[in-house]
Amino acid sequence: MNNIFKNILIGLAAIRANLTRVILTSLGLTIGIFTVSIVTAGVSSIDREFDKSMEYYGNDKVYVGTWPWSFDFDWWKYRNRPKVKENSLDYISQYSEYITAASIKKNTWTRASFGNKSSWLQLNGVYPEYQDMLSGTKVVNGRFFSQNEWDLQRRVIIVGGTVRDGFFDGKDPIGKKIRLNNVTFEIIGELKKQGMGMVPGGTLDNLVIMPSTTFKRILTRWGFDELVLQTNPEDMAKAKEEVAMIMRVARKIKPGQDDNFSVNSADAYQEQFDSLKIIIAGMGFLVTGISLVVSAIGIMNVMFVSVRERTKEIGLRKAMGATNNNILVQFLSEAVAISIIGGSTGILLVKLITLALANTLPVEFDLVLIFYTFMVCVFIGVTAGMIPARTAAKLNPIDALRHE
Amino acid sequence: MAKAKKEVISIQNISKIYNLGDTVVKALDDVSLSIFENDFISITGPSGSGKSTLMNIIGCLDVPSIGVYKFNNELISKMNDSQLANIRNEKIGFVFQTFNLLPKLTSLQNVEVPLIYSSLGKTKRLARSKEALNIVGLSDRMTHKPNELSGGQRQRVAIARALVNKPSIILADEPTGNLDSKSGTEILKFFDELHKAGNTLIIVTHEESVAKRAKRRVKIFDGKIASDE
Repeated sequence: MNNIFKNILIGLAAIRANLTRVILTSLGLTIGIFTVSIVTAGVSSIDREFDKSMEYYGNDKVYVGTWPWSFDFDWWKYRNRPKVKENSLDYISQYSEYITAASIKKNTWTRASFGNKSSWLQLNGVYPEYQDMLSGTKVVNGRFFSQNEWDLQRRVIIVGGTVRDGFFDGKDPIGKKIRLNNVTFEIIGELKKQGMGMVPGGTLDNLVIMPSTTFKRILTRWGFDELVLQTNPEDMAKAKEEVAMIMRVARKIKPGQDDNFSVNSADAYQEQFDSLKIIIAGMGFLVTGISLVVSAIGIMNVMFVSVRERTKEIGLRKAMGATNNNILVQFLSEAVAISIIGGSTGILLVKLITLALANTLPVEFDLVLIFYTFMVCVFIGVTAGMIPARTAAKLNPIDALRHE
Repeated sequence: MAKAKKEVISIQNISKIYNLGDTVVKALDDVSLSIFENDFISITGPSGSGKSTLMNIIGCLDVPSIGVYKFNNELISKMNDSQLANIRNEKIGFVFQTFNLLPKLTSLQNVEVPLIYSSLGKTKRLARSKEALNIVGLSDRMTHKPNELSGGQRQRVAIARALVNKPSIILADEPTGNLDSKSGTEILKFFDELHKAGNTLIIVTHEESVAKRAKRRVKIFDGKIASDE
C-alpha cells in the first residue's frame, strides 16, 4: 500500500513539472464535466420545479375546460367551443360516482395596486369548498372565505406570497386593503409562498383567490372558466371517463359527435414534459459524451508524450529496482490526476455559475453529482492512461536506459 | 592458502543469442565466470565484443538465453520481471557513464530513488540517503540539482545512489567516460577506497588506465572470455 502511495506521489510530481501541458489537456475534460453537470443540474432543477408546479394542479384533480392542456393543440378546432358553465356542475354532482368535491374556477389577470405600487396578479373565483381542494399550497395566515361571504359577494381575497413582499415590504398583509381592477378588496388570508413555477399559470405566488360570486359581479374583463373536480388519485382514469360522459349528457351531444369540451389532468402535462426532458437530457449527454471521449483521447495522447519523454527515467527507475507495476501506477496516477484536475475545475465552474444564478434561476447542484463526476474522472483517467502506462511498464530497461 | 572467499556471482556456460531474421548473433558464447566477495574486477573488450551484454546480465537487466546465473546462490536465469527488479533494488548498485541522475530531483532525492522501491519508511530513507552522500563527501550539496553540480560531483551522487541500499556488488559502466581526467582519477581513487572498505566492484571499461586499477582483469572478445587474470 505504502508502495503504491509512493508511486502515486512520483506521478503527481510529473504533473507539477508540466503544469501548462496538464492544464491545457485537462481543459477538454473541464468542458465535458461542465456540460454534463449543467445539463444534469438543469434537468433535475426543471424537474423539481415542474413537480412543484404539478402539485398545484394535483394528482387528484380533474379539470373541465374549453381547451385541452397541450403544447401543440390545433387552436382552430377548439375556438368555437361553448364556454364552460357552472350549471354543468349540477349534473356532475348529481350523477358522478368518483367525484368527491367540485368548484368553478374563474380565471383572469388584472392590475392590482396598493398606494403607488402596482402589479399584475392572477385571479381565481371559486366556491367556499375550494378551500379543501387547494393543492400544492394552503392558507398559512388568516383564513379562507366563508359560505356567507360567498353568498353576500363580499370583496375578500386570499393572496399568494408576492403580495406581502411586493406591496407590504414583507409585513403581515391580513386586514389590509388593496385595489383590484379599481375595486377595493380586503385581504383575509395568505397562501404559502412557493417560489417560481415552470408551467403556464403555475405561479401560485401571483395568485389571488376570491368568491366566484364576487368575481362574476366585479370582474367582467377577459377570462375563462374551468370546473375543478376532486377525486381519488387511483380513480383518476375512471373519473375522467365518467366526467366526459356526464358532460356529453349535460351538453346534449349526440352519439358520433365530437366532444366540445376537454377533460384535463396534470398527467397530460407530465407526459409532454417527460418527453421534452428526455430530448434535453439526450442532447446534453450526447454533446457531453463526445467531449468526454475527445478529452480522454487528449489525455491518452499527452500520456504517450510523457512516457516517451521520460523513457530514460523509466529505464533508470527500473534499473534501481522499480517493478513493472510501480511504473504502471506512476503513469496511471499521472493520467488520473490530469483527469481529476480537469473535472474539479469543471465542477468549480458549475458551482460558481449556480451561485451566481441562485437568485435568478432556481438551479440546484448537489453533492451526489460531485461524487459521480469524480468517479467519471477517475474512470476516464484510468481508461485513457492504461495503454500509455502499460507501454511504459513493459519497456525493456536496457533499451529505455539507452534512449536519448 | 587464505580462507576461500564467498562466491557472489556464479555464471556457468551462459550464452545470449539474438535472432535477427535470417542471422543468429551470439552476443555471449558459452561464458563462465565467478566473482567473489570484495573482488575488484574490470571487464574490457572492443565494442561489439559482448561486454555490455555480460554487464546487463550480471546487473539483472537481462536474462541469458542459455546457461545458469546464480547470485548469492539464488538462481537468476529463471526469474520474472518483479523478482529481477527486487534483486536489482537490493543487491546491485549501478553507476553509469552518463550518470543518469533525474534532472528535476535534488542530490538527496536522487540518492533516495532506489530506497523508494524498497520497503523502508521515510525517515530511514532520508537517514540512509544522507549517510550515502556523506560517504561520497557531498553532504553540503544535498539540495543541489544535477545541473548545479560538476561532472565529478554528479558521478559521486550517482555512486552514493549505488551505495545507498548497501548492495552486494557495485556495477560501473564506463564510470569515467564522461569525466575529465582529474575528476576521473578522483572517482577511481574513490573506487579504490570502496574496494578497501570491502565492497565488490565490477567496472566495465575500454580504458587501459582504468582497467589497470582493478585487481582482476577480464577481457572479452567475440562473446568469449579471452583472458582472466
